[in-house]
Amino acid sequence: MTQPGIAIDLILSKLAEDAEKARTRAEKAPEVLLGPLETEIATTPCDIVYEEDRVKLKHYKPATKIQLNRPLLLVYALINRETMLDLQPGKSVVQNFLQEGIDLYMIDWGYPTRKDRYLTIDDHVNGYIDNAVDFILKKHNLDKINLMGICMGGTFCVIYSALHPEKVQNLVTTVTPTHFDTDQGLLHIWMRDMDVDQIVDTYGNIPGDILNLAFLLLNPARLMIDKYVGFLENMDNKKFVENFVRMEKWIFDSPDVPGETFRQFVRDCYQNNLLIQNKMEIGGHRVDLKKITMPLLNYYGKYDHLVPPEACEPLISKVGSKDTENVCLDTGHIGIYVSSKCQKEFVPRIAQWLKQRTADKNKLKIKKTSRKKSVTKKTAPQSKPALKTKKNK
Amino acid sequence: MTDKSQEKTEPETFFADWMKMATELWDPMAWMWSAFHKTTGMTPDSIKYGKRPRMQESWDTAQKTWQAFSQVMSEPETMETLLKGAGMLPEIFLKTAQTGSKTFVNFQKQWLKRTGKLQESAKTYNLEKDAFKAWTQLYEQEFRKFFKIPQLGLTRFYQEKMIRSMDKFNIYQAAVTEFSRLLLLPMEKSFQVLQEKLTELADKEDLPEDSKKYYQIWIKILEGHYMILFQSSEYTQALNKTLNAMSEFSAVKKEILQDFLNMLPVPTHKEMDDLYKEIYLLKKRIKELEKKK
Repeated sequence: MTQPGIAIDLILSKLAEDAEKARTRAEKAPEVLLGPLETEIATTPCDIVYEEDRVKLKHYKPATKIQLNRPLLLVYALINRETMLDLQPGKSVVQNFLQEGIDLYMIDWGYPTRKDRYLTIDDHVNGYIDNAVDFILKKHNLDKINLMGICMGGTFCVIYSALHPEKVQNLVTTVTPTHFDTDQGLLHIWMRDMDVDQIVDTYGNIPGDILNLAFLLLNPARLMIDKYVGFLENMDNKKFVENFVRMEKWIFDSPDVPGETFRQFVRDCYQNNLLIQNKMEIGGHRVDLKKITMPLLNYYGKYDHLVPPEACEPLISKVGSKDTENVCLDTGHIGIYVSSKCQKEFVPRIAQWLKQRTADKNKLKIKKTSRKKSVTKKTAPQSKPALKTKKNK
Repeated sequence: MTDKSQEKTEPETFFADWMKMATELWDPMAWMWSAFHKTTGMTPDSIKYGKRPRMQESWDTAQKTWQAFSQVMSEPETMETLLKGAGMLPEIFLKTAQTGSKTFVNFQKQWLKRTGKLQESAKTYNLEKDAFKAWTQLYEQEFRKFFKIPQLGLTRFYQEKMIRSMDKFNIYQAAVTEFSRLLLLPMEKSFQVLQEKLTELADKEDLPEDSKKYYQIWIKILEGHYMILFQSSEYTQALNKTLNAMSEFSAVKKEILQDFLNMLPVPTHKEMDDLYKEIYLLKKRIKELEKKK
């Protein structure tokens, strides 16, 4: 008689143990789910200082003494909401910037309605963003501001900086796609043959729910199964549930995207890759990346499945600026802003980079970082120890 | 013979009598009518130019035609010719019916032929292997033709839209079904691979004791299979086909809704879009002018 190779008794006893744990969790879960939960998002105090159509400009109340005389304007994407940057106290990009003494503004794109379907990229860049910048410049009696873009908002910032370089002191792009001709990201593959005209003509604006479904389909195993298995395993943990619900609130708060903007973004960027080739036209003007002569810091995530590193990296080699840097973090598209690990290094590093370039820009040793090399090499003198960054690829 | 001649003459006599009666009835009526018009129907113009009223003129012409007609019809030869023609009627009806039934039979034959073709197509498409795809092809090549039969009459545009919506719905359903099938494939495959993996681990006597490990192995396999699927051209094609089908169905559905809205005192999407565009262009112009100041 040979011994059985499978330790069935052990497996079964472990299974019984798990079942017992699940039962305990299920008993405790109602206490958490039915009790008071703090799930508010975007709670950092701010004033709406400028409004135009559906667009609002938020100005955050400083948490400490302002250390940078030039304000920083954050431009979020038109997909999902800017509330992701202020998900919860203690885990908020907005709060971290305020703690660093940055005078912070952020554009809230609002919820486009059917009447916004004709708004183009030109209306967003040369209209809303430019008007917000002008407002800030006038208010602070400045000639230039610092600009930071997130995802599609980053692409808008790149376009804006190329068209209005005289108004931008420093440019920070985060998970920003500029090179669209790649097979690394699923969005790039899917968008290539999409009949965008038919979709825009039918729907007017692109429904947020359809976009959300598309994002879920990027990784259904994790986003539609594993995520909720994780929730079931932790539903007796109040903190976990609160954070989970905050994230759910943000993810499924999806405004529609103005139709004409979507059409142009898909056609000019995803399908024809015009931006990186300096062939894209906005409001009758060609976007020449060589006109981006201000310092540029380009952040992206190594495991970003929406905007892969290949879509972000080439930017620094195409702009006119000599002071450029690529920083690749070991995380995904959203992890850069919300993961505890990235929270510790992301904002402090940007703040430091901005301060160095604003305080004593004449003393900068400007070096252009090669996009294929490690980015641990700094382009400016460091007052703090170098933060750990990863190789581009 | 006598009977035959009687049969032959009877209708003629009947018709002549009827004509006589009718003339006798309408003659006094005509006389009364003209007398009435002589007293009341004269307009100043007709008096001035010595003309009779138009109504009376028409009535007189009709009366004369009737008299001429009844005279001709009273002739035995005319009646005989007419009755011969009437005898031909059943034959004409029969011929018409035969032509109609032949057309119907041909039409039925064509339907049967089409049904036969459907069966043939079903065999060709290998339904067992790729059922959803086959159904789509079958629908597009065989059934869809019926939705394209031209519509006729006053409401043809509305009928066309309704039929188009049915067609687009079928196409959309087929696309969604095919797309869903693709999405389920990694699930199916992941379980197969998991079984193989477990057998392999069992052979090595390395089966995990923690049940959560099994789930982790499975979700990793599933994720991998989804990644393979999503990068395939088959998936991209199915995705685009579904999106297009959804847009097309949505568009025709809106057209129908628009037709109903047109009957109500509310603005339609199209009207609002026109208005929005005008507002958009005006606002843009104003903003440009303001910036130039």
